[in-house]
Order: sequence, then C-alpha cells, then structure tokens
Amino acid sequence: MPGRNTALYLSLGVVLAYCAVALSAPVIAPFDPFVISGPPLAPPDATHLLGTNDLSQDIFSRLIWGTRATMVLGFLGAVVSVVMGTAVGIVAGYYGGRVDEAVMRFLDVMMTIPFFPLLLVLTIFFRPGIYVTAVIMGLLGGLGSVRIIRSQVLSLAVADFVVGTKALGARDGYIMARHILPNVLPLVGVKFVTSAQHFMLVGIGLGFLGMGDPNVVDWGQMIERASKNGGIVLGLWWWLIPPGLAVTVISLALAWFAYACEERINPRFQVMRV
Amino acid sequence: MRMDDPLLCVRGLKVGFPTADGVVKASNIVDLTIRAGETLALLGETGSGKTVLGMAILRLLQPNTRIEGEILYRGRDLLSLPQEEMQKVRGREIAVVLQNSGTSLNPVLRVGDQIAEAITLHRGLKGAEAEAAAVELLDQVRITDPARMAREYPHRFSGGMRERALIALALACNPSFLIADEPTRGLDAVTKREILNLFSEVNRGRSVLFITHDIEAAASLAARVAVMYAGEIIEIGPVDAVLSSPAHPYTRGLLESLPAKGMRPIPGSAPSLIAPPPGCRFFPRCSCGAGRCEIEHPGLVEVGPGHYARCMLYD
Repeated sequence: MPGRNTALYLSLGVVLAYCAVALSAPVIAPFDPFVISGPPLAPPDATHLLGTNDLSQDIFSRLIWGTRATMVLGFLGAVVSVVMGTAVGIVAGYYGGRVDEAVMRFLDVMMTIPFFPLLLVLTIFFRPGIYVTAVIMGLLGGLGSVRIIRSQVLSLAVADFVVGTKALGARDGYIMARHILPNVLPLVGVKFVTSAQHFMLVGIGLGFLGMGDPNVVDWGQMIERASKNGGIVLGLWWWLIPPGLAVTVISLALAWFAYACEERINPRFQVMRV
Repeated sequence: MRMDDPLLCVRGLKVGFPTADGVVKASNIVDLTIRAGETLALLGETGSGKTVLGMAILRLLQPNTRIEGEILYRGRDLLSLPQEEMQKVRGREIAVVLQNSGTSLNPVLRVGDQIAEAITLHRGLKGAEAEAAAVELLDQVRITDPARMAREYPHRFSGGMRERALIALALACNPSFLIADEPTRGLDAVTKREILNLFSEVNRGRSVLFITHDIEAAASLAARVAVMYAGEIIEIGPVDAVLSSPAHPYTRGLLESLPAKGMRPIPGSAPSLIAPPPGCRFFPRCSCGAGRCEIEHPGLVEVGPGHYARCMLYD
C-alpha cells in the first residue's frame, strides 16, 4: 500500500504526462495520423512502433493524437459541468425557497432521463464536433453536481458567519462569491477530477459506438476500428490493446488522484497522526 | 443628537415563526426605547426571545418570519426600509456581535481580510489601506501582535481572541448602535472580565443593546435593564432599581436563583410559545398569582421612576 502522498504525486504525474503528450502531439508523433504511412496491417517495427491499421495509418501516431481528444472531452466537459453545477448550486442553495424549488424540480425531471442514452440520442441527432460534445456532456453530467453543491450551500447559507456578513451590510452576490464559494471549492475540485474521468470514459464510449467526431482521432474510434476491421479476428494486439491501456491508465490515475485529494480535504478520512 | 434622545424605538413588535405545529410567537408586543449613548441590558433565559429581538432589529430573521410593529431608528422605520437602504444601515449604523464566536468567522478567510471587508464595504478603503485599518482595529481590541494575527485563519484564534476579533469586526465602521448577543458566552471568568472591560471601553458614547443571561455582566455594563420572559418584556428599569428591588415575581425568582442568593430555582419551565398561557405568561409558575392572572394579560405598570413591571400586583 503506497503512502498517501505517493498516491497523490504518482497519479498527478500520470495526469500531467498525458497533458504533456496531448500538447506536444505534433512534435512526438512520427506521422500524420490520417495519411497512408506504409503497408496496411503491418506489425510493429522501428518505423511504425505499433504497426499500421487497415488504412495504413501509423497506430502509434494515432495513439498520441488520440490523447488530445480524450483530454478535451474529459477536461472541457468537467469545466462546463463544474462551473454550471457550482453556479446553479450556490444560487439555489443560497436563496432557497422558490428558486431552489424550481431548480430542484427541473433537476428531478432531467435526472429521470438516463444520461448515456440521452447523450447518444443528442449526438445522433446533431452530429456535433468534439467541443460541442464535451459541452453537452458537461451540461448533462453537471446536473448531479448542482445537487451536491446545493446541499452544501444550504447549510452554509444559514451559517453564523454568513449571517454576520449580512449584518455588515454585504450584498447577496458578494456573500456568494466571497464567503460561500471558497467553502465549497474543495468539493468542487474533487468533483472536477471525478467528472473529468467520467467524461473521458463516456467520450471513448461514444467513439466506440461510432458517434465520435470523424475529424479527430480518438481512442474510442481506434478501438472500434480495430474490433470491426479485423484487429480482433487477426489477433493484432498492437492495434487494440494500446488505446485500451491508455484509457485505463488515465482513468485509474484520475480516480486515484480524486481519492487522494478527498482524503486530504475531508478530515474524517484522515488517520490520526500524532 | 443629544444624550437621552431616543435612538431606537421598538413599538408593538410581534415576531412569529410559522412551523408545522403552529406559529411560534417568539416575541409578543415588545416595546423598547434605547437612548443615544446608553447601554441597555436585555436579560432572560434561553428561548425568551432576546436574540430574536436583536435579529429583528437588523432584519436578519428567516424570510418566512411574520413581523408586525415598528422599529424606529433615528425616526425611520427599519421594517419598511427597502433592502438597499437596509444594507447601508447594517454594519454602518447598526452592527452586531453574534453569539457564537466559534462559528461567526468564515473558516477559510483570514481574520484580517474579514475585518477589512467591512471597512471596504462602508468606508471605501481598499487593499493595503483597509488592511492597515483592520490591524489597527485588532490592536484596539487588545490582540497581541495584531499585524501577524491579521494574517491568520480563525482556527488559530482562542475563544477570547475570536470574541475580540468579532468586536473589532462589529466596530469596523464605528456604528452608532451595537447589538451584542452574549459576547461573554463560553468564556472563563478571567477572559469574561477582560472582554467586559474592553466592551465598556470601546463603547463609550455608543448605544448598546447588551443581550445576556448573565445578571452580573448586565449589572456591570448597563444603566438600564430589561427582563424578558416567554417573548415579552416583563420588567424594565434602571439597573439598581430592578436588581435591588425587583417588582416582577419572575425577576425576583431569577435573582433568588443566583448562587450568591441561595440558588433557589423557579419551579416549572418556560411555556410553549406556540400556545402561550392566555393571561400572564408567567402565571403557571408564579407563587403569588391570583385568579385573574390566568385570564387577563397584564400591561406594563410603572412601579418606580422609569421602572415598569408587567404584573397584576401593581394594577
């Protein structure tokens, strides 16, 4: 069992490494991921580190470029989800009453609709690009965050220090921004990391189901291609395994990072150390 | 404004909290006048409506609260003031020291920043200027090494220091009227004495509503005292008169329950505020209650110069 800090730094290191790869994809990738770079279905060798696919595209280059799509889907989705969840959650929890009632009943309705099928329908219908997909995921996935943030804010809104700040003559907007927000930020941070992990997996699921953006390379679409066009039948592991492994590692790293953060933030999870 | 002019007038204040079991009548026809520069102690046991009165003056009760009556501050009715105007009164004109010092400071903001924000809100000072003013205030409430402590978070402050920080926060804009809600609660005897001394020192010339259940603290700070029971003021008058010759049986009982005076408790417990006794609210516990106390609600009767009691004995 690695120590608390080991888990934190290791997982953070993995996430940062993925970000670095995504940013420097044009430099690292030996080939353009869309061009014909050699014979089709070639096994790994010195030029094609992970061989080529049925369209003669370099798999290693596609893997590198695919990092970008995954990062965009995960982090853009998480930003949208967390910003929306925090803003709406704080307003609903702070004002309470009718505002809160309206928001919560709307959420109840929205949350009866299963997330992934709804997302599938929307992508089939609108055929959005990767950025729009990320925003849609963020908005749908952020509904849960609204509830979590709102429930925290409900108790903060009647906290003595909030009453005290009102007694100083502060306006509601000021209190929400300066007194409520910093108190929910740790929660928002953890929610951001878990959302990013969730949206990456969902994005890859969409790609695998053929709903990916055809203009970008993503790991879901790679796995889909490998499974449909002979990768599995012919046992070409270098086509199928690398994208799957890449997803697993980033997903585990983010989950680990979120747990490590949560442990630090929530004193109840901490072992007494004298 | 001259001394002795009324600064704050509460007239016929009724406060009710709607609940599933009925309306909790937390305050029933409270009439109160606080003169410029005077300290009035509001004495009463837990649940008698002291804090409710304080919060009603600042209009900080829950939005669904039913409030009737008038609260005149410098002749303006605070209860009918628009929200914007009320925000200018809060902190600037009327400030409050809340009763739970442990939770009344935001745990994630530095103490100095919290005091500076009051200064920024009303005095228009920004950044370093506001910060310097905050340090000065902390110094004024006798926090040692104020410059360093201003940069600390509230959890680093002891109970007494938090109370001082809260006083500094309330005094940030030099308000004309201060509501202090049990500022000595939970403090040991020595710290309590220090806070009370500090209190009388920083509030010279200021009108103060000093909410407490500590009779000695009330006697040491206030010129007049009002005793509350079950949402009503049952006795009000000069401290000496009320404490040396209490007129209302409840006040007498309260004084006799002090350790120094025999520690005799008042039998029974405070009535439900959802369905209070129809006549005198103290009747069920009163030792000298007569038949009409049960049905007739007594008014305040003058029993001495400036000394009133809500009791049939003097009617």
